[in-house]
Amino acid sequence: MRFSILLFFLYKILRWASKHKPAYSNYIGSIHEVRIMIKTADGKHGRLFIFDKGAVSSRSGARQGYDAAIIWSDAGTGFRVMASRKDEEQFKAAAAGRMKLDGMAFFAQWFNDGVKLVM
Amino acid sequence: MASINGGHLVGKYLKEIEKIDIVFGISGGHLESILDGFTEYKIRTIDVRHEQAAAMMAHAWSVYTGKPGVCFLTAGPGFTNGLTGIANAYLDNAPLVVLCGRAPIRDDLKGALQEMNQIEVVRPITKWAATCHDIRRIPEYLSIAFRNATGGRPGPVMLELPPDILNITVDESLVPMPSRSNPKYSVHPDDADLKAAAEIINNARKPLFIGGSGVGFSRCSGQLEQFIEKSGIPFMLMNYGRGELPDNHPLSVMDMGNLGLFFSIGQNDVIIAAGLRFNWLLQFGKIIPPTVKIIRIDIDPQEINRNVEAHVGLVGDTGSVLDQLTPLVKKNDHSAWMNTLKSAGRSLLDYELRMRETASDPIHPIRLVAQIQKFVGDDAVYIADGGDTQYFGLAGFMSRQKAGVVASAAGLLGCLGTGIPFGMAAKLARPDKKVVVLNGDGSFGFNGMEFDTMVRHGIPVVCVINNDCAWGMIKHSQELSIGKDRLQCSELGLIHYEKMVEGLGGYGEFVTKDEEIVPALERAFASGKPACINVMTDPTVTSPATPLFYQSLKM
Ligand SMILES: Cc1ncc(C[n+]2csc(CCOP(=O)(O)OP(=O)(O)O)c2C)c(N)n1
Ligand SMILES: [Mg+2]
Repeated sequence: MRFSILLFFLYKILRWASKHKPAYSNYIGSIHEVRIMIKTADGKHGRLFIFDKGAVSSRSGARQGYDAAIIWSDAGTGFRVMASRKDEEQFKAAAAGRMKLDGMAFFAQWFNDGVKLVM
Repeated sequence: MASINGGHLVGKYLKEIEKIDIVFGISGGHLESILDGFTEYKIRTIDVRHEQAAAMMAHAWSVYTGKPGVCFLTAGPGFTNGLTGIANAYLDNAPLVVLCGRAPIRDDLKGALQEMNQIEVVRPITKWAATCHDIRRIPEYLSIAFRNATGGRPGPVMLELPPDILNITVDESLVPMPSRSNPKYSVHPDDADLKAAAEIINNARKPLFIGGSGVGFSRCSGQLEQFIEKSGIPFMLMNYGRGELPDNHPLSVMDMGNLGLFFSIGQNDVIIAAGLRFNWLLQFGKIIPPTVKIIRIDIDPQEINRNVEAHVGLVGDTGSVLDQLTPLVKKNDHSAWMNTLKSAGRSLLDYELRMRETASDPIHPIRLVAQIQKFVGDDAVYIADGGDTQYFGLAGFMSRQKAGVVASAAGLLGCLGTGIPFGMAAKLARPDKKVVVLNGDGSFGFNGMEFDTMVRHGIPVVCVINNDCAWGMIKHSQELSIGKDRLQCSELGLIHYEKMVEGLGGYGEFVTKDEEIVPALERAFASGKPACINVMTDPTVTSPATPLFYQSLKM
């Protein structure tokens, strides 16, 4: 639950930043339709972030198609690591096999770097 | 009194002093006496079909043998066709010696055939360029050329040889050859810097060694092995440094790929970068946070603090710097850190690792690479050329050979078309090894005609085309930037390159299904001919290199 709420707030923040934070809106730029999924491995929790020509939109749920996905072993880990906002925690989670990337891994990194500009 | 012409003097110098026994080029009237000099002094010539291939082959020869590569270009168009190869060698710091014809000096400014100011054109892309005006000074000029190509940080040089000195004779006794070849020397860093570097290394908890082409050109596998095994530091070798220690060395973290490196580089506390430029591919060093201590080893002092300030800079040839550094370094064990890096890499590359193991229809490019690797093995030389293709080749091929996996188009010039010339040079340099070129379909077009060269000279390279019917990297980048509905100049369509190769006398296969890959490879190698396996792959797949490239151009 906390994980889903965190993803929802993340969406709200990114959407706001895309309109009001020049550094972020410049960062996401005019890229055409890139879809980033953040979800748990069991597919129970997830949210899709869509970046299209400078706009950010989102849909809840883990079933939609994506270009890249950040997949957490469980919602607790996802919440803890994402809320920590630390690269080191992400790295440790990856090393422990608790965070995996799917699809175009570069975009997952791109997404994370963008979040850093906002937070 | 024996007389000798200028062209024979060139051959004599190359053979007797520099021990050159192979050269690459295309004939031309201006070069005739040099060509005869090659015959006289038994220097093998590989005559290609476009001069850029000659320059690229000579460049690659230096990569695979550690010796300077020599190409010959005729005046005018031969020269201009060679320019791309020269520029590529310049940006790759490769010791390429270009012998170039020229319109007669006698006829300067009169409108002679192929008269142009070649020296001014080539100067910005060479370490040294000059015209020899005196037949008696040919050995001296050649000696300067080789000295410049190989001394310090290597690079291309060009010597222009006009008919005025090639097509006349001189009493041989008046032109003595140098009695010794150029002296070997190395540059050493300051003792205080060595100590400072050792201290950082000895206190490191999460170190990583990254080696680039400087490691390859230094031919320092022995010194590198001693340093790595004593310090226990995990390592990754890139560019022409790859394979200086085998990819499967116990401390290699090669398998985490560039992606793993990008993701984890900030987690190291110490980075030792040797013979590696912090250029755009490393985002000018910006991906390394300031908290990470950086030790840089480079033969060129200009590189030490370029883009990012190093905590310690060790100027010198990588091998000799490591020779001095290793005794100061404590024996250590960083295997826990290495395992952490590797397992993080596995999570980040999870998708790619799965795709390698999964037969798919259409074929995923990384699956194609994995199947090639499975069949050909790690005692082979791999070259990848293309846009996305180059990424997949670099990520998926593993070799025990020096420079065993090279993405020839991933150098600073990003020069498509280099794969086939590199493959030919690799096969000539290491005839007993299997050589595979993984080519993008677009890239194949630049030097595909060199299959004729391979057939004439018996150079059985196997070229596998990762055919997405497009200039894929550009197509996918356009999809991101201008949208799928406005693609421009980025699609190629289905072309039967294998038939073209058959027409040139090589062996061809067309593959559309996963299960056909290995049998096609089997037949291609068994044919003993230069071969082209044209494999249709998934045109929707993009490599991580594409958005990286896209981002680098965003203003
Ligand atoms: C000589 C040259 N021309 C053009 C380019 C621009 N370019 C970079 S990647 C690319 C597409 C390469 O297509 P292909 O070889 O088919 O490889 P793919 O990306 O499809 O795997 C192009 C045209 C270049 N780098 N070099
Ligand atoms: Mg292509």
